[in-house]
Amino acid sequence: MRFVNDLKKYWAYAKQSAKADLKSEVASSYLNWLWWVLDPLLFMMVYTFIATVVFNGREQYFPIFVLIGLTMWNFFDKTVLGSVRIVKSNHAIVSKVYVPKFILVIQKMLVNGFKMLISFVLIVLLMVAFKVPITYRVLYVIPLLIVLVVITFALGNLMLHFGVFVEDLYNVMKVVLKLTFYMTGIFFSIASRVPAPYNQLLLKFNPIAFVINSSRRCMIYAESPDLRLLLLWGVVGVILSVAALNIVYKYENSYVKVI
Amino acid sequence: MQEREIVIDVKDLKISYRCLKAYSIKKSLMQFKKSKVQVYEAVRGVTFQVPRGEILGVVGKNGSGKSTMLRAIAGIFSPDSGQIDLHGNSVSLLSIGVGFQRKLSGRENILLSGMLLGFSEEQVREKMDEIIEFAGLGKFIDMPVKTYSSGMHSKLAFSITAVLESDIMLIDEVLSVGDARFKRKSYRKMKQLISNEERTVVIVSHSLETLRKLCTSMLWLHNGKVKMIGEPGKVLDAYEEFMSE
Repeated sequence: MRFVNDLKKYWAYAKQSAKADLKSEVASSYLNWLWWVLDPLLFMMVYTFIATVVFNGREQYFPIFVLIGLTMWNFFDKTVLGSVRIVKSNHAIVSKVYVPKFILVIQKMLVNGFKMLISFVLIVLLMVAFKVPITYRVLYVIPLLIVLVVITFALGNLMLHFGVFVEDLYNVMKVVLKLTFYMTGIFFSIASRVPAPYNQLLLKFNPIAFVINSSRRCMIYAESPDLRLLLLWGVVGVILSVAALNIVYKYENSYVKVI
Repeated sequence: MQEREIVIDVKDLKISYRCLKAYSIKKSLMQFKKSKVQVYEAVRGVTFQVPRGEILGVVGKNGSGKSTMLRAIAGIFSPDSGQIDLHGNSVSLLSIGVGFQRKLSGRENILLSGMLLGFSEEQVREKMDEIIEFAGLGKFIDMPVKTYSSGMHSKLAFSITAVLESDIMLIDEVLSVGDARFKRKSYRKMKQLISNEERTVVIVSHSLETLRKLCTSMLWLHNGKVKMIGEPGKVLDAYEEFMSE
């Protein structure tokens, strides 16, 4: 399959480029890599404050609850939004040498994935600090993450394609993603805060809400995720990815002509 | 003369920029009539072959489709019709402001560009010192590329492609950049690259003198079509005459 071959061939480039990106991010800001730790922590505090003080949130282990949501959401949000203009922002490369365009999405996912990893270390530290009982169910977070990655990859590639042709897709996606943010329940529990039929609908049909909610359940509340739904979203994610890849492969050589 | 193996085979190449304009949602809401699709044919049916080891010069006035054709050969554009067959040879395109990431240092960009050209990390690292030395950027090599002057930019770009050798080199208007010293150096390097029988080079340039000295054959594109192809001397004389009219 062309995808596998290309991935093999360009994986080293994607990794190197992601590394360079992260390095330059560190070099250009004053507090350096500390921001990778501070950013999730500070936002966790902001949302915890808003949710507990203003909205009277009562979830157990609330800061961890928020941090898990934020960590996974940021990965999804930054990759999808970043993919909209990814061809344009890599114009210098794309117009000088052939590179499979999905590699640009992979590169972005590696950058954001690294930050997610750091955030996960924070989650583990917080779990220890809050004395969260840890069970084998924590391991369910691995398939959940895989599903998140697959779905993010599919949407990233779709954004990459349509972002080339629709000039203001970026503005549209900013609004759409903000709406999704609230429908995913980053700093509130959808199950208990959203009225009855809608909360179950959101948790089933919004894959990100499903993944985040399940991750919280298996990591801090010792509950298993709905495995059938997990498998279903995994399959949907793969199908979407294949479709998106086909579109990108078909049109990628004309992207440069548009810019 | 023995038959040489063909490495670039271009058949009836056509490239146009039709109906690929980006549209915005606002624009499509405001205009009820569908906006007229603009077709601009940059290359209209070009056919030629380049045997291994040949240095092909390409001339033509601005907008005659030279750069578009080069990009198509490099695999960046897909042709609208026609075929380009490189018979599996590796190809690199060298042009002004080659694909650098502006916020990364020169050194990192060498690594990334090299990897994009299909070399492994080790191969690039091996050649790194040679590239840096050839580019002669001094301490700028560890500064972000955005701090470079346009001359330094081209020097680095030229050095990467010149030192990391691919079977086919496509050169788009870079021989005339850089200071006098670098120009001499790159000219010498070009000579050396060209002396390698295995390498095929396609040069687009407006510097007719350089082309006259370097090339072994010449292609004249006019409005996206081949006007003339053959001996450098003859084609260039005809071209010069045409341009001075």
